[in-house]
Amino acid sequence: MEFVNPEGLRLDGRRPMEMRQLRAEIGAVARADGSAVFEMGNTKVIAAVYGPREVQNKSQQSNDQALVRCEYTMANFSTGDRKRKPKGDRRSTEISLVIRQTMEACILTHLMPRSQIDIYVQVLQADGGTRSACINAATLALADAGIPMRDLVTSCSAGYLNSTPLLDLNYLEDSAGGADVTVGFLPKLDRVTLLQMDAKLPVDIVENVMQLAIEGCKAIATYIREVLLENTKQLEYRRGL
Amino acid sequence: MVGLSLGEKHFIKGGIDQNIRSDGRKRDSYRPIFVETGVIPQANGSARVRMGATEVIASVKAELGRPSALHPDKGKVAIFVDCSAVAEPTFEGRGGEELSAELSVALERCLLGGTSGAGAGIDLTSLIVAEGKICWDLYIDSLVISSDGNLLDALAAAIKAALANTAIPKVNISAAASGDEQPEVDISDEEFLQFDTSAVPVIITLTQVGRHYIVDATSEEESHMSSAVSISVNRKGHICGLTKRGGEGLDPSVVSDMISVAQHLSELLMSRLDSEISAAEAEGGDEEL
Repeated sequence: MEFVNPEGLRLDGRRPMEMRQLRAEIGAVARADGSAVFEMGNTKVIAAVYGPREVQNKSQQSNDQALVRCEYTMANFSTGDRKRKPKGDRRSTEISLVIRQTMEACILTHLMPRSQIDIYVQVLQADGGTRSACINAATLALADAGIPMRDLVTSCSAGYLNSTPLLDLNYLEDSAGGADVTVGFLPKLDRVTLLQMDAKLPVDIVENVMQLAIEGCKAIATYIREVLLENTKQLEYRRGL
Repeated sequence: MVGLSLGEKHFIKGGIDQNIRSDGRKRDSYRPIFVETGVIPQANGSARVRMGATEVIASVKAELGRPSALHPDKGKVAIFVDCSAVAEPTFEGRGGEELSAELSVALERCLLGGTSGAGAGIDLTSLIVAEGKICWDLYIDSLVISSDGNLLDALAAAIKAALANTAIPKVNISAAASGDEQPEVDISDEEFLQFDTSAVPVIITLTQVGRHYIVDATSEEESHMSSAVSISVNRKGHICGLTKRGGEGLDPSVVSDMISVAQHLSELLMSRLDSEISAAEAEGGDEEL
């Protein structure tokens, strides 16, 4: 199947190095300490952060740092075919773990000992790149909750089909059987914090595809920073400053 | 949720006694309701309803299936509710299962009628394609994103809006099959049938706090209710279902009074929902043009 046509356009009309349209909204869930909705094309996820708050399970409490917990769930209607089990399946457990480890590395947990930070991510629409959208949404939600972090964590995926590196794969491109590289990146510190790849890639191509994903992460970081600044302006305006 | 102090409890109770609630509403007023339809493009129909800080999303998916042997002329509808951890940290893992099950069963009871399918708010015979062989199975999935009380009413409103937004594809049966053979079907991509929601009821939940009952309770008000009765009323003013929750017993006369209050309020809620839904649908239609 042709994923990049001779004119260089992909199935949804994008160029190989073009990302899908991004849209973010802060403060979607009123009850949460911090929350955000993040859309990458047709993939839409909502993240809510509760914390820092008292540890619920005393046996897990740590005296010198905060406990970070994460749960990833997909709504029944998020995928094309109905999903019967929204949570508890292996893929959800793995992604919960991945998001938790990525965010934990970035949060300044030593500033909040004996407390717990819960990150809940819910996928409303899945069209490829849910992992990345969840990490981006979690970053925004943590910023909305005012939790101190080393840097913003952004994530983007890239692949390789029809001998072309492609940025930000959607579901069709992801399930095509080519490689799917997901990168989690700290833009200011210029460090890769998450790197996952499936399928096969020639060794000389891996570097290129990873670099493309990192460029995607940097673009997302610029967007997230804009959204946060706009949000702060709104808050200042409402406070009459 | 953080518990309420004694002073706060007295404040809420006293306010309700004087017909002024914490947010300024009267005992029988609803919070502002926002409806948005077509939020899930890959579903046949979907809607997002916000009542104050409570927010729910409902989606309707139609799949072809076999009708049950007991009712060969009726399609099937299943309602599922999922309480997301995003709404409440206590819903994490399996914490929300009990509430989800309770809400799903209450909704099925109010909207789907008895086990024989009689008296259902949704006309199941309209879902049949080939009698005894092929019917539409409707899966109504709802997700609670933000919880601030009165989940049942919000879910029922979201389901009503999602059904109004549902477009079932037209099915052309190609070959005339006899006996037990499955006829060939051709699902049209172009033609759609809009679902008829004129008979779908709304649910009014009346929460008793102290000596009075209020409608559309916030989670603060719900936290010290003595009991709650959810009554499902349709357009004609007929009762389609009733659920009582909460431990304290109610005098039968109070229950009859609640039913008449619910009937009166349902007219207002129904007309308000209808206007919101048609506004949302018109907006969705404009975007397509």
